[in-house]
Amino acid sequence: MELARDVLDKLLVDGEHRPLGRVDGLVLSWAADEPPRVIAIELGAATLAQRLPRWLGRMIDALARRFSPRHGEPYRLDWERVRRLGRREIEIDIDGPRSGALDTERWLRDHVIARIPGA
Amino acid sequence: MKKLLEITLGIVTSIGGFLEAGSLATSAQAGASFGFALLWSIALGTLCLIFLVEMSGRLAAVSRMPLAGVLRARLGYSFFVIVLAAVGIVAYLVLATELGGVAYALQLATGVSYRLWALPVALVCWLILWKGTFGVIEKGVSVLGLVTVAFLVAAVRLHPHWSAVAAGLVPTRPAHQAAHYWYLVVNILGATIAPYLLYFYSAGAVEDEWDESHLPVNRAVAAIGMTFGGALSCAVVVVAAMVLLPRGVRVDDYKDMATMLSPVLGHWGFPLFVLSLAIACLGAALEVALSLAYLVAQGFGWNWSENAKPRTAARFSAVYTAALLLAPLPLLAGVNPLKLTNISMALTAVSLPFAIGPMLLLLNDEDYAGEHRNGPISNLVVMVTIALAFVLAVVSIPLVVVGG
Repeated sequence: MELARDVLDKLLVDGEHRPLGRVDGLVLSWAADEPPRVIAIELGAATLAQRLPRWLGRMIDALARRFSPRHGEPYRLDWERVRRLGRREIEIDIDGPRSGALDTERWLRDHVIARIPGA
Repeated sequence: MKKLLEITLGIVTSIGGFLEAGSLATSAQAGASFGFALLWSIALGTLCLIFLVEMSGRLAAVSRMPLAGVLRARLGYSFFVIVLAAVGIVAYLVLATELGGVAYALQLATGVSYRLWALPVALVCWLILWKGTFGVIEKGVSVLGLVTVAFLVAAVRLHPHWSAVAAGLVPTRPAHQAAHYWYLVVNILGATIAPYLLYFYSAGAVEDEWDESHLPVNRAVAAIGMTFGGALSCAVVVVAAMVLLPRGVRVDDYKDMATMLSPVLGHWGFPLFVLSLAIACLGAALEVALSLAYLVAQGFGWNWSENAKPRTAARFSAVYTAALLLAPLPLLAGVNPLKLTNISMALTAVSLPFAIGPMLLLLNDEDYAGEHRNGPISNLVVMVTIALAFVLAVVSIPLVVVGG
């Protein structure tokens, strides 16, 4: 498995095939004289901001801190939750709609979209 | 039998959905200024478009992933952001352009200024997206768009010298107004090779659950549908060349082209022009707004579907809502709709390398395109198109300054 090719930026779905987002970043741990190990997947604007040129990343990070429902806090999924590494998507063992991965979707739905007639 | 119906429907959809503000206006300008001489640029653009549309459909059918999703997964976030910025900014301007087309058609019909129509038109577009499904939008509006066949009827009834028309399909150096000539070439290619169409088409293939068995449908729709669509653009050039050019009309405003059908189609000419402009631009506005939402939502891995209720795809719906809220701004500020059209089409040409460049990589990737990877001919065409796109991107801005 190659992390950049097979994991990073892949679509994440829950057990019911509901999209959760994409693998925006990976958390690795280096223990002394052990090979590095992936311990978690990160999602969110703050994680993505780190992958942009610094001036742009800082701006987006500041915006996310102020306006996002998670206050710019990335959402972490433990690597143990990965159920299947597919070619098209990575299946995660969580209940999507209740997870923090969909905080922004939920906030936007409850505060804006659902209040418009016909939604 | 079912496939045959799908092919027919797909072809009708591409013909009815082909003309929009950009192709209508730039074709009319080309005909009015240079006769048949610029027909080659429509043919060239249509040929590139056929290959690109076929590829985006094939990629979606084989990978069962939409173009923006493959783009992010295969080329990574940093690259995706660049494409998102380039295609996104241009799509916003094109959306404003199409709203302007509908608004101007309403001005022609009612005498009330397009500036007052901008917001109601955006609201109607939003309502259709909010309540409609993908099928209603794609098929319904495109079937209505068949009214644009009026241009083909008019072109045939004008009895052009077909040998002169055919001669226009061969590129020639302009005898006069060279800067304006090349400016229109860039505009026409920008209007014909519309990047948003690739995202729209590919998302549609996924919404309609295409698989490998749809590859023949895909090929037929791309080749036949786009060829007939390109023929409609050519018909606009022919009509403009035979009606506007002899009368010395220079198209600097949509109203300059409003009577182009009248000498041929009599008192049906004006209403048919207005209806064509309104429906063609309305259909395109819906497609562009949706393409923007597809691009963003698929790239970030949000739930997306035009067939779902807005509340089940909140961020997706929020993108097209925001786009339609902001798109009337240039019109409200009083920017001339035809000026806006020309600027948008020239900038589309600038964005082409970012939009088309990735196709070469994605269509050669075994993980995504599998055994249906590009063959040598497709690769050659994309490479030539990319080279063309780079040239267009470089010359576009200077030409707007000297030739616009």
